Amino acid sequence: MESPIDRPDGDWWSEKINRRETIWLGLSGGWALTLFGWMLGWSQFGDQNQVGESYKLTTERFLEKVRSYKRAAGTLTVDGEEMLVPHENDVYVGALQWDWDGLPVVLRPGETYRFHLGSYDVQHGFSVRNENNLSQQISLQILPGYEWVLEMSFDDPGTYQVVCNEFCGTSHRSMHGKFVVRDHEPVETGTDEGGGSGGDKYGGWFTGDAAGGPTPNFDGETADRTGQEDVTVTVGGAEDAGSSNVYGPPAVRVSPGTTVTFEWASIGHNIAVESQPDGASWDGHGSLEDSGFTTQHTFETEGVYKYYCDPHLRVGMKGVVEVA
Amino acid sequence: MFGFSTHTYDDEGFRTCNVTGLTIHRSAEDMVKLYGLTAIVALAIGGVFAFFVAMTRWELVSLLSPADFYTYLSMHAWNLLIFWMIFMEIAILYVGGAFVLGRRLSLPKLAKVGWVVMATGAVVVNAAIWTTESPNQAPLLTSYVPLPSNWQFYAGAIIFILGAVVAALPFFATIWHERRENPNETLPLVTFGAFITGIVALESLVGGLITYVPTLLWRVGEFQTMDPAFYRQMYWIIGHGSQQINLLAMITVWYFLTHVLGGAEVASQKVSRTAFVLYLFFINLGAAHHLMSDPVVSMGWRMWNTSYAAYGAVLASMIHAFAIPAGLEAGRRAKGKGGGLFGWLWSSPWDDPGFSATIMSIILFGFLGGITGVMMGQMQLNMTWHNTLATVGHFHATVVTGTTLAFMGLAYYVLRLVFGRDWALKPFAKLQPYLYAGAMSLLVLMMMYVGILFGVPRRHPSVMDIPGTEFSFAPAKPFFVVFGVAALLAILGGALFVVVAVASLLTGDRFDADSVGDVTRAAADGGDAKPIHEYSMRGTFTLCLVFLATFVVLWGLNWYLLSTIWQIGP
Repeated sequence: MESPIDRPDGDWWSEKINRRETIWLGLSGGWALTLFGWMLGWSQFGDQNQVGESYKLTTERFLEKVRSYKRAAGTLTVDGEEMLVPHENDVYVGALQWDWDGLPVVLRPGETYRFHLGSYDVQHGFSVRNENNLSQQISLQILPGYEWVLEMSFDDPGTYQVVCNEFCGTSHRSMHGKFVVRDHEPVETGTDEGGGSGGDKYGGWFTGDAAGGPTPNFDGETADRTGQEDVTVTVGGAEDAGSSNVYGPPAVRVSPGTTVTFEWASIGHNIAVESQPDGASWDGHGSLEDSGFTTQHTFETEGVYKYYCDPHLRVGMKGVVEVA
Repeated sequence: MFGFSTHTYDDEGFRTCNVTGLTIHRSAEDMVKLYGLTAIVALAIGGVFAFFVAMTRWELVSLLSPADFYTYLSMHAWNLLIFWMIFMEIAILYVGGAFVLGRRLSLPKLAKVGWVVMATGAVVVNAAIWTTESPNQAPLLTSYVPLPSNWQFYAGAIIFILGAVVAALPFFATIWHERRENPNETLPLVTFGAFITGIVALESLVGGLITYVPTLLWRVGEFQTMDPAFYRQMYWIIGHGSQQINLLAMITVWYFLTHVLGGAEVASQKVSRTAFVLYLFFINLGAAHHLMSDPVVSMGWRMWNTSYAAYGAVLASMIHAFAIPAGLEAGRRAKGKGGGLFGWLWSSPWDDPGFSATIMSIILFGFLGGITGVMMGQMQLNMTWHNTLATVGHFHATVVTGTTLAFMGLAYYVLRLVFGRDWALKPFAKLQPYLYAGAMSLLVLMMMYVGILFGVPRRHPSVMDIPGTEFSFAPAKPFFVVFGVAALLAILGGALFVVVAVASLLTGDRFDADSVGDVTRAAADGGDAKPIHEYSMRGTFTLCLVFLATFVVLWGLNWYLLSTIWQIGP
């Protein structure tokens, strides 16, 4: 008898093996080879292989690439929502806490696109599913400091929902984007609109030359609310902004003594004060808040108050209150 | 130790176990009690957090806010995946080494030092997670850089790892002394398995130091940046490596308990030991399957590491999958315990929680944990599993229905044979493994189902809706009802184990029976002279063919599902 807790006697190496155990060894070895062979074969003949070049690059460089992709892209309104139409077939997806820069985008069925996946801050997960068939879904890891280029081609028209499935901070679950696969009329692309970030107004605060990226919804105009008693600024959303990482309006002019209400419209934003007039003592609102939160401040001292959102400074979430 | 024990030792500190016939020295026995009880404390803590985690994901209840959810999830992960497991595994090393060899534990002081350091590390990690405040984030298990956690968390992890290395040294020293004194003897199979477990553990722990030391330096500002790709590759040496310690320790426990309780013999020393050696060579690199859907690593690197490495280890697991039930079958046939195809199995002591937990652990680990692990370890299939709830289903199948169940089975016998206390609340003790295994199996099936077929992500404090959008995972809702109920039952089963263990220690009768299960060691020693390989193993062979068929069918379905997805890659 062979007990597993006794020292085996004699020449145990030469003992016979039961015939069925020998057969099982053969079956197991054969199965392991089959698994390997199939995987190798699929990489040559299969249509789903997460294989593509990776590039090491700085976050700033990747941000620039996403910005120039967005400037070159055309736009198309689908179901009331303005979406990008990529110039040529490169789609840049910049993941950030907690949004997808570069989406939403409209793609044509049957065409091959190069997805450039990267992150502005921490690790994220690019998890995509066909809305009409949830089991058509894949997940890919996204690392900051790297750009991963993967070809994809979609046959089934429809909406493809993108969520993040790598934990990226408390508001991780709110990180959502999408793209739509459908045929459409040709859209003009490749024209660089310059980003509309207001030139040197406020010392160039809204451009990419100041801290962070250019502010997408600042067109050089300051919303004039002077003389109004109650002024509201939306934090994390604005009409026609195409992004939730904005203040609306980004720049507002008010009379001294006006109380401004900041109203959160999406998850995970704050107000960090960049600069304010001498003698003013506005603290902004440092902790990250979710939609529904409000805070108020009465602006007494005349001058320009510049502020931004900590997690989204890189994508240009910046604002100004001008007291005049 | 602790005054719970009923044993007396001779002048040199030895005693002979009535049941196993093992000569046990007090130095080893005290440490097995210490580490075993600490493990059960970690199990109880982790189990409490399991309740909050499961009841948050089940949106009908939605217990916690997102920030709390991640903190509780981290506590759940570290206490169960790390502390419960590793404290128990140190105890298993001492059983497999000193107990089975009939020796004193060498370097007994280091075992105590190791415990103090490990316990300190565990307390620091728990405190660091519990006090997480913005801008720090709960670390979960993985603490992927550059998302920051409390610096004390990384420090605690390093302390714990160092403690585990120290605690493993007495085991290696015991083996060293055995080999010096008996250079011509072969180690018993259980000791050999424990030895390989120890080596794999050391490799993994060294990986942990390579991961956490630079990360701590980065967190306190000594290093400017930390490459996330480097971190992922180093992290998974310990991240998966620690789970491979579980695997090897569990298999060692399978050999041990099927023998002690069911009369199993070793079907072939050569085959079983070769399988352990395969683990030694291959299993650590197999951890590369965590990077299958990553940028940076090339296709060649991924294919290499998930083929030669993973399949070397898969082969080893498939060998054990046959060898252990075959040993039980042949051993019981030899002792006249049931004939026919499955008579040996039906006649087994199913009302013994040590035995039932072991057998269910073998079956569930293979069917639920093993098959899914191989599938998600195939490069292309990994895209459909990566970071979905199905992944969580996989590792609950391996770590809970596999390892935890086996360790519970072992703990039932630590209570009886080491503490010398019979089980209190016996009807509950007999029921517990069935309740726990049944509910947990249902739970992991639900996780896999919603993960693969609905793409429900892991690590979300809720499931159905994504705030601020119209998109939702509502079709998965009915499955979460089953999930929620199964989770509650599983947690009840886990709590029952802790209650029985504590009650047995405090109120259990003295246990001094000569045999357990339905065999005696005397019969095992006696037996007839026919070599073990000449007994029929047809029952096991049939079961293994059913296993292989299930494997092939599920594998085929997964590839079919993948083929329906849009084109990705060149």
